Amino acid sequence: MSAPAIRARGLEKRFGRAVALRRIDLEIAPGTRLAVLGPNGAGKSTLLRLVAGLARPSAGSLEIAGVVAGKPAARAQIGLIAHATFLYPQLTARENLLFAGRLHGVADPGARADALLEESDLTHVAHRAAGAFSRGMAQRLAIARGLVHDPSVVLLDEPFTGLDRSAAQKLSERLAGLHAAPRTQIVVTHDLGRVAQLADRALLLVAGRIARELRGEELETPALERAWAEVTEGPL
Amino acid sequence: MNVLLAVLWKDLVSEWRSRDRLIAMLVFSLLVVLVFHFALPGGATPRNAQHAPGLLWIAFVFSALLGLGRAFQIELENDALAILALAPADRGWVFLGKALANLVILSLVQAVVASVFAIVFELPILAVAAPLAGVVLLGSLGLCAVGTFFSAMSVRTRFSEMMLPVLVIPPLVPVLSAAVSATAELLRGGEVTFSSVQLLVVADLIYWIVGFVLFEYVLDE
Repeated sequence: MSAPAIRARGLEKRFGRAVALRRIDLEIAPGTRLAVLGPNGAGKSTLLRLVAGLARPSAGSLEIAGVVAGKPAARAQIGLIAHATFLYPQLTARENLLFAGRLHGVADPGARADALLEESDLTHVAHRAAGAFSRGMAQRLAIARGLVHDPSVVLLDEPFTGLDRSAAQKLSERLAGLHAAPRTQIVVTHDLGRVAQLADRALLLVAGRIARELRGEELETPALERAWAEVTEGPL
Repeated sequence: MNVLLAVLWKDLVSEWRSRDRLIAMLVFSLLVVLVFHFALPGGATPRNAQHAPGLLWIAFVFSALLGLGRAFQIELENDALAILALAPADRGWVFLGKALANLVILSLVQAVVASVFAIVFELPILAVAAPLAGVVLLGSLGLCAVGTFFSAMSVRTRFSEMMLPVLVIPPLVPVLSAAVSATAELLRGGEVTFSSVQLLVVADLIYWIVGFVLFEYVLDE
């Protein structure tokens, strides 16, 4: 039996005296699409950054496909896409993808960059500086950058922030398409209306703890809103 | 090695496109020379050539601090520092790539500043160009290793511009003292003593190795 894509045991993260995550136990099978929900300060982004290996746990253990999170072999499996684009404004779209490909040791970064630009419908602006891109185009390029090394785990930290309705809808369709490849996805979002489309399992985090786990019909918006109100003791 | 070359390429291309760091370092260094002119009794003239080695290194350090402070600021635009931290290799390679890019940019500035010093103080730098370049390179290797390391450490602090000089200058004291005395020996027409070169090489090795090993933790949030 293969190792879970992500396994956390007694995971905790503290910043000084502030506790961001408390005793998180979690097991995510490969190919799962997980939504992480919760009010501001619940620890959602902290959980994502621990999984990415950008921060170290204060206690407990966290593994990515059986490798301790943060180790180079674990980082190689992670693709991170967030509201910040992680793009270099002075580099062109193609150069941004080339750089990401080289960082990850992609065999032919040029060919991979060209393929991703075409997939993202950005070939016509491949040689334009990323700093001149609209928010929607920059987000499409950011997704391509996050996928340049074909990661098995894709982390999405509030990717809809700052997008207009049309751009958000396109992004939603693009993210749904990612699931065609056997990837594990974790998406942090405040947008409860998109959860059913993006995930097949959800965690509701409150004050650093998993307050509720939801699946199937519980991911539909009315059920999610009820669950939210119960665990946060108030409506949205 | 992929990561080192990727970071070096990215930093140099980005700098070539904007040139803001290079221009700021150059202008600042030349302003420092202007300040020396007013600060020295008799001005920055051949009469004060005995002060030139120390002043030259002050100009180098000031311009380096300005450039090094910016080295990781560009990574904060769009939160790109996370991408470097996610590279699936020892993060020490990121350190080497960033430090080498800083060294290339600083060397360009140093070439101009040294030429200006040579004209103003009538220094015989052409006669000692090769050994002087070696001494400047050894001093700059230490400067860039320490500066890159502390630039990454301080970039997410509230007062990073103030923190950087406070963190960088104390560990650089042995490098600067050896570099200044070696530069003075060369400009006096003598030869560089072995002890100065030895100190520069040993300090550089220590700084680059320590930077490589500890950078893994510097990029952690």
